[in-house]
Amino acid sequence: MSVRRALARLFAIAGGRTRLDRELESEVRAHLELAEADALARGLSGEEARREARRKFGGIEQMKEMHRDRRGVSWIETLIRDFRHGLASLRRAPGFSVIVVAVLALGIGGTVAMFSVVDAVLLRPLPFPEAGRIVRIWEAPRPGAVNATAAPQFLAWKRLSSDFEAMSAEQQVSATLNDSDGPVRLAGKEVSAAYFQVFRTAAQIGRTFTSGEDQPGSAPAVVLSNATWQTYFGSDPRILERNVRLDGIPCQVIGVLPAGVFDRDQTEFWKPLVFTPAQLSSQTHWLTVYGRLRAGVTLAQARERLEAIYAATLETAPLEERKGAIAIAPLAQLLVGGSLERSILVAFGAVSLVLLIACANVANLLFAQGATRRTELAVRAALGAGRGRLVAQLLTESLALCILGGAAGVGCAYLLLHLAAPWLAQSLPFTAEVALHPRVLGFAAAIALAVALLAGLFPALEASFGNLADSLKRSERGSSARHIRVRRAVVIGEVALSLVLVAGALLLAKSLWKLQQLNTGVRIDNVITMSLDLPESAYSIPRKAAYFYDAVAERIRAAPGVANMGIATQLPLRWIGNGEAMLPGGIAKLVRVRFKRVDPGYFRTLDIPVLAGRGITDQDREGAARVIVINQTLAARLAEAVGMKDPVGKRVRLSSVNYAAQTPMMLDVEIAGIIRSERTAAPGDPDPAVVYVPLAQSPSFHINLLVRTRQEKAAILPAVRDAIRRIDPNVALADIATMRQVRDRTLSGASRPAWLIGAFAVLAVLLAAIGLYGVASYSATQQRRDIGIRIALGARREDVLAYVLGGALAMTAAGLVFGLLGVLALTRVMRSLLFEVSPLDPLALAVACVALAAIGMAAGFLPAHRASRIDPLVTLRDAG
Amino acid sequence: MKPSKIDMSKQQQEEVPYGTLDLLILKTLESMGKLHGYAIARRIEQVSGDSLQLSQGSIYPALIRLEQEGWISTDWGISETNRKVKFYSLTKAGRKQLLIEVANWEKSTALVARFLEPST
Repeated sequence: MSVRRALARLFAIAGGRTRLDRELESEVRAHLELAEADALARGLSGEEARREARRKFGGIEQMKEMHRDRRGVSWIETLIRDFRHGLASLRRAPGFSVIVVAVLALGIGGTVAMFSVVDAVLLRPLPFPEAGRIVRIWEAPRPGAVNATAAPQFLAWKRLSSDFEAMSAEQQVSATLNDSDGPVRLAGKEVSAAYFQVFRTAAQIGRTFTSGEDQPGSAPAVVLSNATWQTYFGSDPRILERNVRLDGIPCQVIGVLPAGVFDRDQTEFWKPLVFTPAQLSSQTHWLTVYGRLRAGVTLAQARERLEAIYAATLETAPLEERKGAIAIAPLAQLLVGGSLERSILVAFGAVSLVLLIACANVANLLFAQGATRRTELAVRAALGAGRGRLVAQLLTESLALCILGGAAGVGCAYLLLHLAAPWLAQSLPFTAEVALHPRVLGFAAAIALAVALLAGLFPALEASFGNLADSLKRSERGSSARHIRVRRAVVIGEVALSLVLVAGALLLAKSLWKLQQLNTGVRIDNVITMSLDLPESAYSIPRKAAYFYDAVAERIRAAPGVANMGIATQLPLRWIGNGEAMLPGGIAKLVRVRFKRVDPGYFRTLDIPVLAGRGITDQDREGAARVIVINQTLAARLAEAVGMKDPVGKRVRLSSVNYAAQTPMMLDVEIAGIIRSERTAAPGDPDPAVVYVPLAQSPSFHINLLVRTRQEKAAILPAVRDAIRRIDPNVALADIATMRQVRDRTLSGASRPAWLIGAFAVLAVLLAAIGLYGVASYSATQQRRDIGIRIALGARREDVLAYVLGGALAMTAAGLVFGLLGVLALTRVMRSLLFEVSPLDPLALAVACVALAAIGMAAGFLPAHRASRIDPLVTLRDAG
Repeated sequence: MKPSKIDMSKQQQEEVPYGTLDLLILKTLESMGKLHGYAIARRIEQVSGDSLQLSQGSIYPALIRLEQEGWISTDWGISETNRKVKFYSLTKAGRKQLLIEVANWEKSTALVARFLEPST
């Protein structure tokens, strides 16, 4: 009764029962008033009447106590009582509780962290109003290929199509901002004035672009991202009154975007995209076009009508542009590619397996706990508790555990996401805001509940079934065979799931290793890369840029520790975005080539051998005869297309883009040499045909520096910075990375989840080992008497060791068989993630099995060893 | 079930017999219809001809239990002293329960009566 009373008070304090108490209070008052009125009517005086009423009522406080007691105990009260009881019994076994909560925290934490990624990338809609209507538009020159858009086409679409609320073109640019700490390079975009209408994003301060601001002659304006405003302008509230010098040109800040999605995009500022007269007539495909469809317009309708418009504009276009179609895709589909979706789902699947294993472990621990508590349960049953009550109580206890585990898991997830933030920012689309949103927390709660049920129900049933009275008599020796069978099955399941994870991790690791072994055709070791942009205003004529490259190359080569250096417009191994046309034999025989500009040091720095003719030399500069160097693939293609057997010394026509003006022109060039192909295609794809053009003859504003060092790589950075500062203090270095990092980022692709799944696999193996250890040592303890008798009857210690260890190994072996079946079932999923590795790679599977068997052995050894040390005298006496 | 609180100072008056308060309340509500707490207490005293010493307050714990069993229902109303009070009335389940309690009562009194009757 006192518990109930205490609870009732607890409830009264919590506010749950104050209503009933208040009602009773007013009833009592009314009662006393009525009684007093009756007494007065009988002729008693006021004071006497009041006393009479009170006397007849009896003790008010006792009555209230009784009233509280009589109110039936609700299920909530039962639940809370069980919960308190549960917490109390958890406190009694702190070691057990800590282990369970830790195991749950790991399992739930990992799952919740992964779920927040799934939620952010796959479930949550894009963070723009009516984001489903945002589309990207390409030209589709050939089936399956898409191309950027030329300015005249974009303007024609924009003018003639009525299916779009807004259409915007953009181009990535960068600009140097002279900060107080020296020049910094900001990544930006030049966009049409309608850009922010496409995304329906308003500025937090000021405004975004208005129509007309992207027309020639309008004052230079700039919109800043929130992060830029904070980082470089100290969140200056009067930012709109400030002029910002980008590349030395003063720009008026007209707005700052709200924090959030546009901060995760790698864009720090937006400028209006103003077409030059040359660009307006150019057929260079350089623009990225986004549009917002009008409500009710389908993708197919928009595409059809755009194609009609496109066909109309093509009449004036050069011949090779005339076949054309349009491709339109929703933004969401673009941002989350199939490969990313698959990686995320596989990682989520893997972490779910870890959670299942954690769940199995907890169930096992609860089984063990249940066995030691059979006596307590038997007493309670004897005192009249029904089986339902006992199961409910045990379940509530596991619920208490899971709530603690869930809370710790959410903390764990927070930590994981915090640690993984840089990696996530790199691999997820910018629209994904990974955070512990309410939905994610709801998921965590659901998981905790599910785990409580899953892990708690069987042990609870197990503990309350069977003849409890028996356990009273037999004390802790009474463990049913059924009981240990269930626990063994759970451990076998754990081993099976672990094998699936370990095998998956090994396969992915092997795939990653294969990718690393991939012949890239370029030197990887001791090469450091960085990029820089020349401000267009200061380098308006090509010769100035050429001087800059020469000076940079000379100074950096002279720096101590530098072995060689080269310059290229694209990083090695990276796909070359610039596509041009080579006309080796008239317009009919067009060869599509990729166009890369390099300086004389490029091939030497990267150890790319010249196979025929020569490489690019210092003599290939402005004014000298125009030459190109081609790769092996292009040489083969020329032989195939026009029968050009020995291309060195031959002259071909090549389309190229003019410096600054961005207009295409046709060049007559001589093929000076052939080099061995460097890899620029994705793994598994054929190398493209590449033309290498001397940078000095065809300069570019954006270049990459490749510096090969003699020893420690980072040590040369100050020297490089210093060299550049001495030549032009307004030029900033960016994107500093080693060649190894460039390779890994370029090639890892589908094997990206390898590390993640590796980590999950380690966790899974750890949990499975704990489970095995637990069951092996438990069954050894249960069999102490047996073992004691065996020893007393002359069994040697080795026999006992083998007996107990054999049990653990049998469980492991059974688990491995089921695990292999699981691996077999998952072949299809794995195949899409692997590069040149079979999903049933025998080596990986063998290693996984051996590793798990070894772990099973290790987990079983300690209990076996302990069992072999049993003193038969002690056991038999204790048990007797 | 606990015995109802009784006033120990008046030993000469009858205590409420163990377990009968529920029966008395149900019977009162059956014959009188909707009543508030004080009226129930007064009615029980009157019917017993004031020979039963009831602490009037003791009906409230009994009432809450009967209400939670679903045998009586409550409504808010205005008392003769113009105060908001709860009025109690018998539910369908309450009528059934009353029949059962009456039957039980009769059975046990009949049993006791047979023991007390002088054997013939």
